Amino acid sequence: MNLEKMLKSKIHRKVVLFFHENQTSIDTPRGIATWIREDRLRVLRALEDLAKEEILVAHRATSTTGYSYTRNSRLIAKINRLLNKKSS
Amino acid sequence: MFEESKKDSNYPRELFERLKNSVSLKKEEECFGYCIKPNMWWLIDRPNPKLHELNKIICQTCPYLKKAAAKKRSKCFKQVFNALKKAAQSKALTRFECIQGLHGFIYPILYNAKLYGYIGACYVKKDISPQLLNIFSAFTDTVVKEVQKELELSKLYETVRPRAIALSTVHTVYRLISSTLDLNELLPRIARLSLQIIRANRCSIKLVDAKRKTLLPKATVDLREKKVRLKRVRIGRWAPGKAVKYGRPIRGENYLATPLIDEDVIGVITLYDKVDYKPFTPFDQEIMSTLAEQAVIAIKNAQLYKEQERLTIGAIKSLSTILDTRTPWPYVPRASFLKIALAVGQEMRMDSNELKSLEYASLLHDAGQIVVPDEVLSKPTKLTGKEYEMVKEHPMRGVEILKHIRALKSVMPIIMHHHEKYDGSGYPKGLKKEQIPLGARIMAVIGAFEAMIGKRPYRIQKTIDEALEEIKKNSGTQFDPNVVDIFLKVMERKDIRTMLERELHQPHAAAGRIVLKI
Repeated sequence: MNLEKMLKSKIHRKVVLFFHENQTSIDTPRGIATWIREDRLRVLRALEDLAKEEILVAHRATSTTGYSYTRNSRLIAKINRLLNKKSS
Repeated sequence: MFEESKKDSNYPRELFERLKNSVSLKKEEECFGYCIKPNMWWLIDRPNPKLHELNKIICQTCPYLKKAAAKKRSKCFKQVFNALKKAAQSKALTRFECIQGLHGFIYPILYNAKLYGYIGACYVKKDISPQLLNIFSAFTDTVVKEVQKELELSKLYETVRPRAIALSTVHTVYRLISSTLDLNELLPRIARLSLQIIRANRCSIKLVDAKRKTLLPKATVDLREKKVRLKRVRIGRWAPGKAVKYGRPIRGENYLATPLIDEDVIGVITLYDKVDYKPFTPFDQEIMSTLAEQAVIAIKNAQLYKEQERLTIGAIKSLSTILDTRTPWPYVPRASFLKIALAVGQEMRMDSNELKSLEYASLLHDAGQIVVPDEVLSKPTKLTGKEYEMVKEHPMRGVEILKHIRALKSVMPIIMHHHEKYDGSGYPKGLKKEQIPLGARIMAVIGAFEAMIGKRPYRIQKTIDEALEEIKKNSGTQFDPNVVDIFLKVMERKDIRTMLERELHQPHAAAGRIVLKI
């Protein structure tokens, strides 16, 4: 899925915004669902979509998966532009 | 500390920003405006405004003063200025006369007895009753307190939320690193997570080699370079060495070395070069110290687990050797059969725990034969019914002997059922097809193959190819056809075949058991 298309989805945008504002964060689907006040399962689906697009990094372990923000500075700059464009 | 004072200095500005936009204050203005009809309201956002500041605030809004002569304007300012002083001193609502026949009042905005500014109204054509002013005072007090509470809550949220997110991150990291007991997996994981939460480019984890007084590189992750050099560091040298020597973090502009401290220092995590080219901060140091505390627990657990595993496998090998000395037939090429069993297990996509069970089972599957008399095991002629019953009991006897070793719990089903046949004609339970555990189905093939190519008093030793042919012939009846297919595929591997042939032709293999009757 294209990044712009992805950010049109409310839940994907909220997840991206959370990580964009908290770039050092690593959290579980449950944690992120709490921070953005959304349903855990919907958040989990969005997280997996974003991990597939390499916007997020999935740290998989047997008991849980932690998600963190991409370290690709070009991608972060692009997301920044899109988020600003959207909010303006 | 710096952050705190900066926040405090922002407080009045934020408070007045909120007051300006407060719906309750606007409603109050509307409501009292209807009663007293003032021509202007104003909000002064500092406790001691200078005259020119006051001029600016009032001139911008007062329709009268815009047109008034300089003398009148000055007189008006003086009245307001004096009223402000009075309100500041008394810390209570103060009335004044702004210009002839017109009235005004000033309400001081206080918080914890500290004056922050004023709300005022002027150009009121009729005198305002004290009762009405009391009501205004009480109402404004409530509104200001409400806004102050809102601001406090928002500040609390702004302070607590990042910390809560950081705490949640630390908790997630702990869960991620404590979910593995494999050091080879754990250390790179700690390195990657450290890079992520500090946003650095390189992380190196070194563990102390106490004998040589050096730090051994165990995991290095560099996000810029593909090639990573693993360097030993002497304790006391460079940032990692110093962190270990002094047992405290060593922070520079582009590095942060955090010691891993248990009872003693066991290693160090060193981060280099932040992504944003900024220097490492005390906050980074704090976060890394917390992460290091968690990493130490995970590393110690993994080391203990490895040690325990080494002890277990050592004990199992010793037990297997003791059992081998008890069996009356010659040397068994254990290493080859172990390799074959694991190769078949891997091909059948068994996970690491299942493979471990298979490994242990291949060493111990015939442990129960220890209770079968030598005369029966080495009998060259056909067994009597009673003797055969004794042999059939050996899987159960094996389980009885080994059940006290908790580490072997998952191995028991394999030992118990490795003589079951795919068509249900085996022993001890007569299980068939998938009722038989996969490990036992694999062990059945390996065990039969082992017996056929090994020297047995009751049968002629077969060659490898003859044994493979026999296994193929019994596929689907005695053995699981899937396991047989994979076993035959594995046996085509040159490395396995060579290893098995070499072991079979070793001198002690031809001579018989190695340690048996010494």
